[in-house]
Amino acid sequence: MTPKEKDYMDRYIYQVIRRLPKAQRDEVRMELEELISDMYADKGSMEAVLTQLGNPAEFAKQYQNGQQYLIGPEYFETYLWFVKIVLICAAVPIVIISLVNAIGEMPAAASWNTAAGIIRAIVDGLTAGITDALLSCISAFGAVTLIFAVIERKKIQLEMKNAEKWSVEKLSEDRKTAESRWTPKFLEPVPDKKALISRGDSIVGIVFIVIFCVLLIFSPHFFAAIITEDKTVTTVPVFNLEQWGTVLPVFILSLLIGLADEVLRLVVGVYCKLVMISNAVCGIIQIVLSAVVLKVLPLWNPNFVTDLERTLGDKANSGAEFLTRWNADMVSNGFLAFIVVITLLEIGVTVYKTLRYGASVKKGND
Amino acid sequence: MGEGKDLLSALLLELRRGTLTISVLSQLREPKYGYALVQSMEEKGVSIDPNTLYPLLRRLESQGILESKWETSSTKPRKYYQRTEYGTEIYKQLKTYWKNLSAGMERLLKEEEV
Repeated sequence: MTPKEKDYMDRYIYQVIRRLPKAQRDEVRMELEELISDMYADKGSMEAVLTQLGNPAEFAKQYQNGQQYLIGPEYFETYLWFVKIVLICAAVPIVIISLVNAIGEMPAAASWNTAAGIIRAIVDGLTAGITDALLSCISAFGAVTLIFAVIERKKIQLEMKNAEKWSVEKLSEDRKTAESRWTPKFLEPVPDKKALISRGDSIVGIVFIVIFCVLLIFSPHFFAAIITEDKTVTTVPVFNLEQWGTVLPVFILSLLIGLADEVLRLVVGVYCKLVMISNAVCGIIQIVLSAVVLKVLPLWNPNFVTDLERTLGDKANSGAEFLTRWNADMVSNGFLAFIVVITLLEIGVTVYKTLRYGASVKKGND
Repeated sequence: MGEGKDLLSALLLELRRGTLTISVLSQLREPKYGYALVQSMEEKGVSIDPNTLYPLLRRLESQGILESKWETSSTKPRKYYQRTEYGTEIYKQLKTYWKNLSAGMERLLKEEEV
């Protein structure tokens, strides 16, 4: 073998093993060195040998067995549907917000009369909006993909566990008595129509979660009291924007847990024990996180009342009654009570539907 | 025309793929290294691509049907494969099944010729 031929062999082997899992590489390298030099001794030309072996990518594919995908065919359709909804919810509000922002800032920057001013404001708004929308779409896509990938992995683990049980039985000498053989008894009853979870049921929840997420991340200042006086617009934010960095992650985590629960529901597609447990667990985590956000973290703008009073100035009289009643603690308690009631209601409905109509054989849960 | 050819080669590939395991197992009562196996099978009229065989050997080893040993005493290290006891058991059953299958196939195909 000439050095040049040896070099080609090394190149070929490298192209195969770089596509394989690390643990297999060393051994496969040795195997291929053996194979190629044997073939070379037989045929006398490295080019002929490598041509016969063909494209190294195809060769590597033969070595790869098992799962080579992130989201399998079983969930792919639901996943696509989910991605579409989430991307629309993530992109559209941001573009709208940016436009509104741009137009809102216009009176100060340019005069309303000039068409050029309006167009420039709109172009600026659109540019900012599209950039933000792209960013949020990428994050939303990532979040949904991550959730589906986790569900896919979990399902694979369950299936592998079942398969193991099965093969142990199979290995034992009397194969025919293997108990875990499939029999018609394994057929799950057709679920009651009322037990089916439709996409329509979930879409409100998903749209709400995603739009709320997007607003909280990109435009927390939108949650504000807006006062128009003498053609100047003043906004007093409701949230504590200085501390937003600590509040936001908990907020988003809570919303993402809600999203994960929605995904699981749609993937399973029918009320059953798994959906019920997931709903209860996610609901309780959401209540706890909401309590943290509302009661522990500095959520509210501490200067809300004073800022508002200052802005309103002498007009304060009209709003005075409301302002004296503004009490962050009370608002927190109100929201928390609202969240607890809504969440418990949802869990209640799920438990009721599961026990009443739910699939008696739990999908992937036994 | 080309489509028909593609279809035929896909069908042939599928037909051959099912016979690979049993033909490889039949040759591995005694330890053999990969390329020697390719050559001996070719001599007997059953050709197998090395880039199919090597991954297949690894897979069968991971399933406990084959076992392997690196022979490093000579200048060139070689990996020898051999049937395990379990592999022999599987092979026997595959063989019985194959004989029934080919007898059945024979009858089906003869019927067509008449």
